[in-house]
Amino acid sequence: MTHKIAIVGAGPSGCYLAQALLKARADLGVDLIDVLPVPYGLVRYGVAADHQGSKAVTRQFARIFERQGARFFGNVHVGRDVTRDELRSAYDVVVFATGLAADRRLGIANDAAPGVVGAGAITRALNGHPDAGPLPDLGARPLIVGNGNVAVDIVRLLGKLPDELTGSDLGPEQTRWLAESGIEAITVLGRSPAAQAKFDPVMIKELGKLAGVAITVDNAGTADDEHGQKLLDALAAIDGDGTAARTIRFVFSHVPLAVETQGGRVTGLRCRTVQGDEIVVGCTSIVTAIGFEDIGDLPRADILAQADSAAPVYAAGWFRRGPRGTIPDNRADAQVLAADILADLDGVSAGPERPGGTLFEGPRDVVDYPGWLRIERRELAGADAARCRVKICDRAAMIEAACHAEETSS
Amino acid sequence: MKIVILYGTETGNAEMLAEDIGDALDADHEVTCTNLSDFPVGEFDAETLYLVVCSTYGDGELPASAQPFAEVLKAGATSLAGVHFAIFGLGDSEYEETFNFGSKRLAELLTQHGAVQLGERATHDASGVDLAEDLALPWATEAVALAESRFGKAA
Ligand SMILES: Cc1cc2nc3c(=O)[nH]c(=O)nc-3n(C[C@H](O)[C@H](O)[C@H](O)COP(=O)(O)OP(=O)(O)OC[C@H]3O[C@@H](n4cnc5c(N)ncnc54)[C@H](O)[C@@H]3O)c2cc1C
Ligand SMILES: Cc1cc2nc3c(=O)[nH]c(=O)nc-3n(C[C@H](O)[C@H](O)[C@H](O)COP(=O)(O)O)c2cc1C
Repeated sequence: MTHKIAIVGAGPSGCYLAQALLKARADLGVDLIDVLPVPYGLVRYGVAADHQGSKAVTRQFARIFERQGARFFGNVHVGRDVTRDELRSAYDVVVFATGLAADRRLGIANDAAPGVVGAGAITRALNGHPDAGPLPDLGARPLIVGNGNVAVDIVRLLGKLPDELTGSDLGPEQTRWLAESGIEAITVLGRSPAAQAKFDPVMIKELGKLAGVAITVDNAGTADDEHGQKLLDALAAIDGDGTAARTIRFVFSHVPLAVETQGGRVTGLRCRTVQGDEIVVGCTSIVTAIGFEDIGDLPRADILAQADSAAPVYAAGWFRRGPRGTIPDNRADAQVLAADILADLDGVSAGPERPGGTLFEGPRDVVDYPGWLRIERRELAGADAARCRVKICDRAAMIEAACHAEETSS
Repeated sequence: MKIVILYGTETGNAEMLAEDIGDALDADHEVTCTNLSDFPVGEFDAETLYLVVCSTYGDGELPASAQPFAEVLKAGATSLAGVHFAIFGLGDSEYEETFNFGSKRLAELLTQHGAVQLGERATHDASGVDLAEDLALPWATEAVALAESRFGKAA
């Protein structure tokens, strides 16, 4: 008999894990389960709409289902629709690769005031995530707190002119939101010196290509290592770039102390500078891009403790490591984890045949891989000269397209 | 003919393509597929055709899995005289100034050490419309034909 493995979460870490497991042992029964009706996690809902090249890894992931025999069970919320115990008795091995989707808060006074929004919330809304709220009104002068690539993604999208979005899969509503934003000045603020920022220098350089902005970089300081120097070079290269009316300003070494409000609206961010002065950086909204944490629907600490024990429970990706690392890091990690799981499996004599995926049978609409392909086909059919895909953003409409659409046999 | 497909990758696209090329050539040739990170520089031999598939990262740099290989080659006086290779690059024209520099650098490095490049370097653009395999399979067929005429049909 073959072992049955459930991977909860069909993001990059779950998909790379399935790929590595099935490459080593084609006979394994690998099922990927996701709360969304569609696979690929943050590749679809995090990676920016204008970075389609990075999204192309989904071609590899498609092969897991099309050639390697993995199965997809979408629209299944583990912890609610099925319990962890049910999953554990239905499968020989359970892996949690559910990511970390909640925005970390600033942890300062007033950090939940109206007008303070998380980068995750905005990027989900920009990427048409079915559970995203409406796109917020950022006002004329948004301030982005954070020095990672997610902050750069947001600045870039806010700074792009409409025709710089050609070829993306940005939706019509999102396109309108950007075009009508009325943004005049964007500030990107970080607590550490520029040389310690987590920006990828290539992402900073990319900002230099934007035609509709004028960029300035304040107090970048000096570097004492190679990465830092590369970053400073990239920042120096975009400093003073462009003459457009809309501005982007980078500010470093400012420690946020409190969100300032007036009449319940954000008016600024109080910060301490390196000199020890307190100043208020004025703004109309604050976007926090300072990392992610778990949304709390699964007990992460318990699961990570189980994963460290002898139980056939494992954790992968951001859920295991924390909100750090790019898609290639997940691939490298998944290959190591796959080897661990396979080594552990070798020691375990096969028990009685487990029910596996029959667990998900019932009244609920479960989206399988062919169902996802029906969604995708409809999304691609909406493409035109300006957009490579038009995403279906509504959960009911996705399920309709996947499960109830009239079969057009070919 | 003996064919070794070497790939340098970060997210796995080059590996998938290398496997596709391997599948296409497998019936008529003795093919193996290896990550550059697992290929010792001393193992090159003159009777084998090397098909190299390599992506680009950073600012026109080699992908992580090709870097140790390149470091070893740069550091030593390894001679690749008599070694024949063809090279295919994966890149993204979003990075216009360094488009497919990874495969370009790797080709230069191999030829600097005396290896002979067969045919033109071919490239894929992740932002383009073509599928990588649609470009790479004709490239591979061509490289094999060039190698056959070099090595003599019998090889
Ligand atoms: C805004 C943003 C942009 C990014 N851009 C890039 C980029 O351009 N390039 C790059 O290399 N990296 C990028 N990253 C990083 C990259 O997205 C992560 O490294 C990667 O997605 C982590 O993979 P994962 O599988 O661990 O998590 P995720 O991708 O988050 O996948 C987790 C999956 O689990 C599912 N899930 C969650 N809870 C449950 C549950 N209870 N039951 C069932 N399923 C569940 C989710 O729906 C999701 O599909 C970006 C990250 C963010 C946040
Ligand atoms: C951070 C980053 C930097 C990149 N830099 C370049 C580049 O300078 N030139 C280029 O042609 N492609 C560049 N690419 C595109 C990749 O080479 C391309 O996506 C390729 O398909 C990846 O193949 P792999 O999965 O085998 O690594 C870059 C991609 C990323 C994510």
